[in-house]
Amino acid sequence: MNVDQRALAELLEESQDLQADAMRPTHEALDELVEVNRAASPSEPNENLQFHEEHKRGVLSSLTTAPLLAAAGGLTLVGALASAASASSSQDIQILQTAASIENLAVATYKTALTLPYIGSSSANAVVNKFARVTMNQHAQHADAFNAAAKALGGKAQTKPDPAFVPVVNKAVASLSGASAAKGTLGVVGLALELENIAAETYVKDTTLVASSVNKALFASVMGVEAQHVAVLLAVQALLNAGAPQLISLAPGTAGMLPAAAGSVGFPNAFYKTNTAAPATQGAVK
Amino acid sequence: MKKKNLNNVGFQGTESELLAMTRELDDMHHDVGMPAMWEGVSNMIDNLSDNTQARSTSRRTFLLGVGGAVAGGAILSAGLSPLLAGAATLQKPATSSVLTSKTFPPAGLKGDLAVAAVAASLENLAVYAYNAGLKAATAGKLGTVPPAVGTFVTTALAQHTQHAEAWNAVLASNGKAKVTEVNPTLAPTVNADFAKVTDVAQLAELALTLETIAAETYQAETSKLMSKAAIGLSASIQPVEMQHIAILYYVLGEYPGIQTSGGATLAFSPINQAV
Repeated sequence: MNVDQRALAELLEESQDLQADAMRPTHEALDELVEVNRAASPSEPNENLQFHEEHKRGVLSSLTTAPLLAAAGGLTLVGALASAASASSSQDIQILQTAASIENLAVATYKTALTLPYIGSSSANAVVNKFARVTMNQHAQHADAFNAAAKALGGKAQTKPDPAFVPVVNKAVASLSGASAAKGTLGVVGLALELENIAAETYVKDTTLVASSVNKALFASVMGVEAQHVAVLLAVQALLNAGAPQLISLAPGTAGMLPAAAGSVGFPNAFYKTNTAAPATQGAVK
Repeated sequence: MKKKNLNNVGFQGTESELLAMTRELDDMHHDVGMPAMWEGVSNMIDNLSDNTQARSTSRRTFLLGVGGAVAGGAILSAGLSPLLAGAATLQKPATSSVLTSKTFPPAGLKGDLAVAAVAASLENLAVYAYNAGLKAATAGKLGTVPPAVGTFVTTALAQHTQHAEAWNAVLASNGKAKVTEVNPTLAPTVNADFAKVTDVAQLAELALTLETIAAETYQAETSKLMSKAAIGLSASIQPVEMQHIAILYYVLGEYPGIQTSGGATLAFSPINQAV
């Protein structure tokens, strides 16, 4: 693949700018959510306002100080994910904590993927690289939001990954050891696809399970974003499998070169399924 | 409307592999996914019906009815003038009642059923627009159409048809008339916008607007609907519309995810365009 280094640098810079811009409305929405939740549950007023920033710092700190996977070694996630989550109080809190645990796992997985040269380095496909960075950031925001909502209802923040999916991720990560760039990228995409779909299906189901309309709105605002991640990953996976990584590009004219099937591979079902949704309490805080 | 370059240079090499994969996925979808999905939707409707009014349509009737409708294709439209400067010829509705935004949702529909009517009308509008786009493309009015765009339109159209049928099945199950009209509030705008469409990129931009309105409406309604079944149906459709949006952005050469009008990506989808 030919990489225009300057264009890539511009893309990365743009990505960072976009994130900064994107965080603004997200923080506002989250603040609003916390406000509404606080009105419904008057406990811990100051903690709720501080939680978002504190938790974000905590997540970022744990990720930077405990690398989950050596770039070439294919280590497991066990170290950072050793003590996984289990059970809590009210149904909404447990559901929110489970959602946060899925997001934590997703953040860790993308963080790990970005240590791999074919995902995170300057030689990686620019779209895949940007997608991984943007998506990791979005999952961190989702985790923040779910934890803020759980705290607003009097629950604890879930900072651990979903225990049921950790072995799946570990196995997938281990299989990447020594893989070529092509196979490694496909492996990462496959793993991310699985996690994103679990997240999307879980949140679709959660909209029918949570009691609070505020929490329904939160899940509804996130489920579609995860479904978009799924759509992108399905398209990327199909193009990689077809040996056409050069078409994973946002350059003008690319759409005209895409095979017909690329137009529909990203949305295989008219109705989003829920058969792989995580059980509601699977990732709740013990 | 932004002008995008969607030049068709042609796919070289591995089209057959990709098509084979997609066929396989499609086969799975129809052999396994579709019956299961309709079963799920019909269960939702059963549950919704149990909580509201007596049903006039059995689940079996619904399943048969939906299957026929999906196979049949076109949705009817009323309330739209013959737009598109000849680009599309749409089937006339069986009953040509012209609804206005003042009479919509139809009288007698309240709560979740009123939402079902609005949702059906939005889906009808999407079907109408995609059908019109296909017709215009076929007539050569949009220039060269990339193969992926053609597939996108036909697949999205089929899915919106299924969404409309699902909401109409909800209405029919509760003894209410199906909504075969397009949304009267949005129709004039879509009509005017479509008249300006001269190429595929502009069609994609219009589709993006319609998909965004649909997705945001479902998202907003998910926290307002009362019936668990209706919430489930709404929540099962919103992510699919969001997937349409992602692929449309990709086709337009933009980051394939929900974003502000300025292009800033968003971690949470907004609802400011919900109807």
